[in-house]
Amino acid sequence: MANSQAFIQFYDEPMWESIRAQRWALQQCDDCSQYQYPPGPCCPHCLSLSMSWKPLSGKGKIISWVVFHRQYFDNYKPPYNVVAVQLTEGPLVISNLVGPEPEGGWIGREVTICYEPNAEQGSIPKVMLSEPPAA
Amino acid sequence: MTTGNLSKVGAVIGVGQSDYVSDHARVRAGEKPHDSYGYAAIAFREALADAGLTRDDIDGLIVGPTVAYERVGEVLGINPRWGSQADAMLAVIEACAAIKAGLCETVALVYGNDQRSAAVQYGGPEAMGGNLFLSYVYHAPWGYTSQGALYAMMFRRFMEVTGITEAELGEVAVAQRLAASLTPHALMRKPITLQDYLDSRYIVEPLHLFDYCLINDGGVALIVTSAEKAKRIAKKPPAVIHGVGRFDLNRGATSLEPRLLDFYRPAQEACAKQVFDMSGLGPQDMDAVQIYDSFSCHVPFALEGYGYCRSGEAGRFMREDGISLKGKLPVNTAGGHLSETYMQGWNHQVEAVRQVRGECGARQVEDCRFVHYNSDVAGKAVSIIYGR
Repeated sequence: MANSQAFIQFYDEPMWESIRAQRWALQQCDDCSQYQYPPGPCCPHCLSLSMSWKPLSGKGKIISWVVFHRQYFDNYKPPYNVVAVQLTEGPLVISNLVGPEPEGGWIGREVTICYEPNAEQGSIPKVMLSEPPAA
Repeated sequence: MTTGNLSKVGAVIGVGQSDYVSDHARVRAGEKPHDSYGYAAIAFREALADAGLTRDDIDGLIVGPTVAYERVGEVLGINPRWGSQADAMLAVIEACAAIKAGLCETVALVYGNDQRSAAVQYGGPEAMGGNLFLSYVYHAPWGYTSQGALYAMMFRRFMEVTGITEAELGEVAVAQRLAASLTPHALMRKPITLQDYLDSRYIVEPLHLFDYCLINDGGVALIVTSAEKAKRIAKKPPAVIHGVGRFDLNRGATSLEPRLLDFYRPAQEACAKQVFDMSGLGPQDMDAVQIYDSFSCHVPFALEGYGYCRSGEAGRFMREDGISLKGKLPVNTAGGHLSETYMQGWNHQVEAVRQVRGECGARQVEDCRFVHYNSDVAGKAVSIIYGR
């Protein structure tokens, strides 16, 4: 086994730079204003080649979630959760919910992006509940 | 939109497979009986014999994605006048298209895979497939890996949206194990109960161990020829291809949008319209269904997407109407990827042919006229209808 590795291709590099700076940014199309994830060479909505990197608002909601009970990576010991989050900007991203877990259902809960140290990339974006249950 | 008519152009006249049970036992004991080419060769010899043909009758060759085209042709000594490489379902469609175009008349479709003895990894640091499907590797920084995890995420949301329960999903594993128990060449033949399913451990929750396919070595081959030639030469009743369909969802694939927001439904609906329009048949005409089941949840997604039940009703349909050999709609009648063998859709084509021929013994669906195969691997929906 080994640690998990980021799969960084040509267009991903600026995104990981923004994550290291703890200001996760995605490409927004200059022509149709749509965001895309993962990063790419053109806007998949209108094929424009003109895009700008924009920091995310950091807000989204949980679309779905799973719990790993099998170990695939040295740096992820089960059980651990993975969540799919729809960002306010539109795209879905994958992350882990850290901090308090929701009482009742997870789907539809509002979350906020936070950052955790990461040995490989320096920093990695995670999410936490925007309104955690009262302790 | 026209669909192009491939109805009754081609027919399967021969099927073959390696000895899954014996090879699996040997691999588990640490042996390596064959490599992918060896399994392919064994299956091809069987398919030729089943068709009553010799190698010289073959003028087209399609090989599966796990082997090299030229090397398979070299190993089998085939110099075809037309050739290609494709997965199981697209291989059948391509064969029909090539026959229709007059590029060849009798096509060998050959697949071999030594995935178990070669320790192919479907998750973790060495996960396969990232060159073809970015979603298989892109989310690794968050510990999110394995195709099972992609389907677990999809099924969790499906539970939320439709109310389907884990126990209802368990109907798939239980029904397919019953089918496998009646299939001599199936790998997992000991029947299980719904309680066994619920008691089994989670791999990626909400999916249990029994929701995951097997990983085993093997090979499969099919001989497809023109329907007209099939009538003249076939030793056994030909399995005529009555219709095919395909629709792909690529937009948003890596961020999982078509999976999590639509459950691939738009692709299945477009594919269903093609295959049913082309064949002049509908879900009510199907006597059995084969569904690509790398994970059990493919089944409820397909039942709704192809119109076997209403949207949101797959859980109730599986529990009340039933998808086992004793139910209203037998699904994966030899046990599928969960319990028969994981030949990546190739074994489903073989089972569809055998059901149409009526040679399935204890698991034979009575008066089986039409079998619908479908898959939605990574949002690529493909359908084929086999019939008499």
